[in-house]
Amino acid sequence: MTAAEVARPPRPSLVSRTLEAYGQEIVVFAAIAVLFVVVGSVNPRFLSDSNLISIFSGNAYIAVAAIGMSLVIITGHIDVSVGSLIGALATIAGTLAVSGYPVWVAWVVPVLVGMAVNAMVGAVIAYVKIPSIVVTLGMLSILKGGLISLTGGAWITDMPPAFFIAQQRWFGIPSPIWFMVALTAVVALWMRHSPTARMFYAVGGNAEAARATGISPERTTVIAFTLHGLFAGIAALLFATQLQVIQSTVPPNLELTVITAAVIGGVSILGGTGTVVGSTLAAILFACIGSALVFLNVSAYWLKAVIGLLILATVLADMARRRRYRRI
Amino acid sequence: MWRTSLLAAAAVSLLSGSALAATWTGGDDLPTNPLACDGAAAAAEAKPYDGGTPTNAPDRKGKEITVVDVPKLIGIGYFNATSKGIADAAAELGNVKVTTDGPTKANIDEQITFIDNYITSGVDGILFAANDPVAIAPVLKKALERGINVVGYDANSTPDARQWFVNQAEFNGIAKSLVDRMAAEIGGEGGIAIVTSTFTTPNQARWIAEMADYAEKCHPNLNWLETVEAQEDNVLSFNQATTLINKYGDELKGIFGMTSVATPASAEAVTQAGQCGNVAVVGLATPNAMKPYVESGCVESVVLWNPVDLGYAAMQVLRKVADGELQPGATSVEAGKLGELQVINGSEILLGAPFVFTKDNVNDFDF
Amino acid sequence: MKVLRHETVLAILLAIALAILAAQSDRFFTVDNLLNQGRLMAEVGLVALVMTFVIVSAGIDLSVGSIFGLVAILLGVFWQNVGMPLPLAIVAAIVVGVVAGLANGWVITRFKVPPLVATLATLALYRGLAEGISQARSVRGYPEWFFVLGQGEVLGVPTQLWVFAVFAVVASVILGLSPFGRATYAIGSNAVAARFSGIRVDRTILAIYAASGLMSAIAAVIFVSRVSTTRSDMGTGLELDVITAVVLGGTSIFGGRGTVIGTVLGVMLIQALKNGLALSGVKGDGTIVVIGFVLIASIVFSNLFRRNSDG
Repeated sequence: MTAAEVARPPRPSLVSRTLEAYGQEIVVFAAIAVLFVVVGSVNPRFLSDSNLISIFSGNAYIAVAAIGMSLVIITGHIDVSVGSLIGALATIAGTLAVSGYPVWVAWVVPVLVGMAVNAMVGAVIAYVKIPSIVVTLGMLSILKGGLISLTGGAWITDMPPAFFIAQQRWFGIPSPIWFMVALTAVVALWMRHSPTARMFYAVGGNAEAARATGISPERTTVIAFTLHGLFAGIAALLFATQLQVIQSTVPPNLELTVITAAVIGGVSILGGTGTVVGSTLAAILFACIGSALVFLNVSAYWLKAVIGLLILATVLADMARRRRYRRI
Repeated sequence: MWRTSLLAAAAVSLLSGSALAATWTGGDDLPTNPLACDGAAAAAEAKPYDGGTPTNAPDRKGKEITVVDVPKLIGIGYFNATSKGIADAAAELGNVKVTTDGPTKANIDEQITFIDNYITSGVDGILFAANDPVAIAPVLKKALERGINVVGYDANSTPDARQWFVNQAEFNGIAKSLVDRMAAEIGGEGGIAIVTSTFTTPNQARWIAEMADYAEKCHPNLNWLETVEAQEDNVLSFNQATTLINKYGDELKGIFGMTSVATPASAEAVTQAGQCGNVAVVGLATPNAMKPYVESGCVESVVLWNPVDLGYAAMQVLRKVADGELQPGATSVEAGKLGELQVINGSEILLGAPFVFTKDNVNDFDF
Repeated sequence: MKVLRHETVLAILLAIALAILAAQSDRFFTVDNLLNQGRLMAEVGLVALVMTFVIVSAGIDLSVGSIFGLVAILLGVFWQNVGMPLPLAIVAAIVVGVVAGLANGWVITRFKVPPLVATLATLALYRGLAEGISQARSVRGYPEWFFVLGQGEVLGVPTQLWVFAVFAVVASVILGLSPFGRATYAIGSNAVAARFSGIRVDRTILAIYAASGLMSAIAAVIFVSRVSTTRSDMGTGLELDVITAVVLGGTSIFGGRGTVIGTVLGVMLIQALKNGLALSGVKGDGTIVVIGFVLIASIVFSNLFRRNSDG
């Protein structure tokens, strides 16, 4: 049930209209704000510049990947292979960098490869009519196994200093934050105003109805996945250049983290709704929770339980909010 | 929305109350045996052989044998190094065919399945590094029953499930090295924190428990602040270490990295926070990943045994066992270029004292 | 007959795979090895049986691996720390598994949270509870009789293979022949229509997720018995293995279509590939790649068949 389908109350106030349109973003934002206030009052160092920067930049690559994931989910699909893809692209970037190619080649090639791979995935989903979860489950295995086979599991070290784009600071703020904010803003505006972007919502909402209005669901799916590949490529760059070492294994369950960020951000898993602002806020919320738990001395043994509770609480709050509007 | 925040606040306040623990978080509850502060070797008790014996093993003396090496996981620098050592030894011996194969994540179930499959495929010898000492035991016993020679390295199983275990360094020895280095670098007192993989990783849990007791005994002014988990995950390790630096500010004098992933990531966190010289990083790591930090002076010393040597020794021991030259009751074993290695604790072979990499020798190694 | 189309493709694929693998290694097609493989696949297989119901009803349960870990930990804690007799501890731990599954179902039906989101949250929550309760301590030293379940044999066949066989028959009868099975298909095809045709949708969904918790719990007990210890990280990543097997078995991820026989074939094919390729000298990472290709290829083929028979 999307907000748009809800019968609108007579002459809604600006507040309630905003709440209705951006409810989930506001819930996530409020959760971040509450954490800042509560943890900041317990330990003011939580709000120090350096900690704020690490909260905002720590999960930037997840936020960027979640933008692409949001597009895919809005179009009515899902991608469970994104973690392996990021790992593969990071390895490509690192390998090019240590093999003596110019730094810009090491930055651009993985992004292009990401787009090409996901364009192919999108084409298989759209034209061969295989459910996205099946194709991407397969890709998850292929990419993960293939990566270890090719690299032999070796770490990449000794990249040239110029390669480390994620360690740069522009105007005193680390570049991952710039990437996250700029990409989120651009995509959010584009999603709102471009007719191309509206196709994603149309196809995700009802593919057959979209076809009747002249939109090709197949082409839209391929476009969504190609863009997803673009963002996965950028995320891989941020991931690869943050530290001096590139692992050939990616964080376990990275795909689940990215999907969770998109879903918590208000992108309905059923497609057709959602914004990328929410997914970025959700990625920040995760970093915020991780940091807050350390600051509040919550025993690390209980960390995952708290994260689970918070996710559940956020989702239930959103459901309660939607229901309230449905009742009016 | 308010319900969310209330719930969150309630959950957080509830849990923070129960967080105070008496010992260092992340250690296990097995008995510890801290070494003397001055390094005097404890009198080793002679223990009878407590390893297992393969049933009806064929005579493999001098014959070519097929060996599989199943580490905890593949794809991390540390086990790449051990498998390189194993391959080196096999090449040197000339009559061993060895493959390294294992799960892509440190998963007990997958590791067991791998070993089970190789038992069926009919290998002559198995080298392993256990993800869990007890969980791996049944499948290793099955291998012994099939007459396969079984030797462990890096992470032990229960003794009766394998023949010999090549011990890189004793837990209390590692703990002493780490704590002594830390104490020396921060002047004997101050707050320290730990970045580890997970609290369930047996070796790490053992080291932390030993470190806690050794520090209490020999460096009582080291003030343990916190242990954080960071999986085998680069970026998470970096984030966790950064958060520790932010949280404790000047209180934090040093960070222990308990894995080859956590240590370089912690060093990077200290570097990027501009805290080199204020926050010391001491930990277990491979030299290649640590070179930038050792060379910049941000990290003074890295503690590790040489994992290439560890793999090399394990392969040599397995060959000796297959040839029947290493029998229960032996007190030492000849391990190729490493020379004589001592037998300790009944059925363990000690690689040697832990090794300390510094600026002067870090470039001599490439793994 | 159309429903069986994918299962036919799969059965042929399995036969081909077995033939090739048997030709590659003379140690593959032995009674001993096949029975042993049955032992290794029982846990994933058990969870996959109920996951078939979940996915047929157009849902998904990502929390199975975490319930698995939670039950394993509680089994140890109830027995050693609480001091229950072991049989009682087993029952109590399984009850917690059912409650965990019920909680999933309750959140999904009561609050209309999409199953993917609800179980994503409980994936973190249940694993977190397992870690918090265990404090990273393992419980070991179970009595000998307990190992019969995971390491023993009955009439020469691994105990858990009997368990799996019984549950597979029961599950396939329920899904294929009972009113409950028909309700599951109806909900998966169109939940609103099912509600209007008098099916108790919420109650059915609740039962399915409770069963999913139950089966994860039983699988966990078997696993603890097989490896003789408990750890809080047990079952990590189980959900993806299980879903892969179910989807490979031809169950439509959109709901409304799928059979237990297909799932059983899917589980067997994956296990045969893992084992057979290892015996033929392919390393673990190569095996993962092959499984990925087989998953995509099998669905492509059965789609082609279906489209041909439709046209």
